[in-house]
Amino acid sequence: MAIIEVNHLTKEYQLGHLTSLKETALNTLRRLAFQPVHERELFKALDDVNFHIDEGEVVGIIGHNGAGKSTLLKHLANISNPTKGEVIVRGSVAPLIEVGAGVNPELTGRENIYLNGAILGIPKKVIQQKLDEIIDFSELEQFIDTPVKRYSSGMTVKLGFSIATSMEADILIIDEVLAVGDLAFQRKCFDRMEDLIRRQGKTVLLVSHNIRQIERLCNRVILLSKGSVIGDGDANSLCAKFYQANDKKISIDSSTTLSLANNNEWATGEIHLKDIKIINSSGNSITELKHTQAVTIKLVYEVKNLVRHPMFGVGIHTTDFIYLATQQSINQLKIEKLDIGIYEFNFEIESFPFMPGVYSIRAGVAEGSASRTIFYAENLLHFQVISENLADKTWNEGLVPLPGTWTYAAA
Amino acid sequence: MHNIFINLYKYRELIAALTWKNIVIRYKQAYLGILWAVLKPIMLMLVFTLVKSFVGIETGGLPYPLITFAALIPWVFFQESVSEGVNSVTSNASLIKKIYFPREVFPLTAMVTKLVELLISFAILAGMMIYYQVMPTVQAVWIPAFVLYTMIVALTISFFGAAMNVYYRDIGQAIPIALSLLMYGSPVIYPLSLVQQKLVIEQAAGAWSNDLYFLYTLNPLVGIIDGFQSALIRATQPDFDVIYPGLILILTILPFSYWFFKRAESWFADVI
Repeated sequence: MAIIEVNHLTKEYQLGHLTSLKETALNTLRRLAFQPVHERELFKALDDVNFHIDEGEVVGIIGHNGAGKSTLLKHLANISNPTKGEVIVRGSVAPLIEVGAGVNPELTGRENIYLNGAILGIPKKVIQQKLDEIIDFSELEQFIDTPVKRYSSGMTVKLGFSIATSMEADILIIDEVLAVGDLAFQRKCFDRMEDLIRRQGKTVLLVSHNIRQIERLCNRVILLSKGSVIGDGDANSLCAKFYQANDKKISIDSSTTLSLANNNEWATGEIHLKDIKIINSSGNSITELKHTQAVTIKLVYEVKNLVRHPMFGVGIHTTDFIYLATQQSINQLKIEKLDIGIYEFNFEIESFPFMPGVYSIRAGVAEGSASRTIFYAENLLHFQVISENLADKTWNEGLVPLPGTWTYAAA
Repeated sequence: MHNIFINLYKYRELIAALTWKNIVIRYKQAYLGILWAVLKPIMLMLVFTLVKSFVGIETGGLPYPLITFAALIPWVFFQESVSEGVNSVTSNASLIKKIYFPREVFPLTAMVTKLVELLISFAILAGMMIYYQVMPTVQAVWIPAFVLYTMIVALTISFFGAAMNVYYRDIGQAIPIALSLLMYGSPVIYPLSLVQQKLVIEQAAGAWSNDLYFLYTLNPLVGIIDGFQSALIRATQPDFDVIYPGLILILTILPFSYWFFKRAESWFADVI
């Protein structure tokens, strides 16, 4: 029998805020007069969600912000009640929803361990037995009798995580808790999670935006979008699907919101970038291309003052501004001077080297033998590299493929 | 209804831990510590004693400070339990949004916290009784029953008020005003015998006198405060005629109040 059953779960929230006395009185009058009342708009945070989880399964829940992940966890932890449908949980639930929910700043670390234990329903005897283990894990021996309000934020979270994971429950619900502490502590948390999952065989529900963690820990993933389950199954394929949806979102968002030369632009006014395009081999402008496809980046500059010995550059960077590759015109174009006018520059890429994902273009112009920068801009045009076949799993394991040859022989 | 008692037992460790937290946090950085809790009845007693020296209130030969303090003990316990209880759900919003346990734990905890402070007040009363050489008699066995009764009254109001306060914060604002009015409707400053004298014997309100007196005794605090004074100071059997109207009223309302709280409970996390 499934340890968690969610059947036709729907949750609606009313948008807006509590109406004033006047509004309430008016609505009552309208109702008495059989006239239409101003109802507040309803928002479906969860819309007919169905799934079953068996004992020992490790399920990741992924989705964009506002997809309903946390709302779903709240229903599993019995904090919210469904508008329609039902949630059946057969077993004790340890909610890790936001670690440190019950940590009180006025109390010392040790006092907080007892208090939090009581809040999580751990008997006092068990806490006493585990006290040393908890303090040890939290790495706070020295500060354990200091009020938590004097802790750094990292120390507070460490304490919270240590308490919460010491609880023995059938089902663990984890909401973005692996992002705690410094790298070393994160590693430790991750190991403890793996221990809970692999060795103790607990049923775990994990919400995270760190898809790589989900991929690594979970054997099943539920993908939520706008309150509905749009995917339920194998972790790897769903994470891949989510990555692509994510990339698409970035590229759509940016192509509508970013106009030409908007970000980090620096210019003296002598030259101005009028247009930038990516063109495929048949001469059409594209924003989506395939790995290894041949493309041309077309730059249209308007020269406003005479420019001597100009040098042009173009580069590719990721959406988080890691400069991946750059090419300058210095060895290829020898231009004495550019008179006032409009010029078109093309940069041909024989085979686009980067793996699927979203990238952007940066471009710059320098003048004279001293290479004085007269124009520079980043984030000029977002484009998406797509994978030709989804089954090829190597695509999210790096930015460029690693060229090389495999051989093998009996040794 | 008996769920309250099951939960009270099942979550006793949680209630104990939360109570302890409430007390520790409240007095942690205060030099006088928990003594602040009893300062309120003592100050009120001093003020009332001062007022009494101007207006003259008949106390039946007993020292006025003692009789007032005996009235203030249940009154302050009730008042503080209710005002803490009504705000107990909203002030624990962060817990309510994150962890589930039966929400009646919050009003219950508020009350148990006040129970600890009540015990300290009793210690001070004991000191005063020694000073005035008033010895408790066997009638003092009624005291635990009256404390329990006061808790039930406070819970009845807290359940309803706490649930309403989640939706309408007006309740939290209104409660202090209502409570200070109720104090004048309870025999705290004046003894009950004064009201009985006016309404029952002198029939001061004419044909309405007996109805008014009944209305007055519907206030459960009337029976509680008079009972406290009788059992501790006057060494007489509590006057049950004064107690019944309030007791019946409260026992009728309590199930509804609890039902209302449990019904509202499922939306606390969404609304709070």
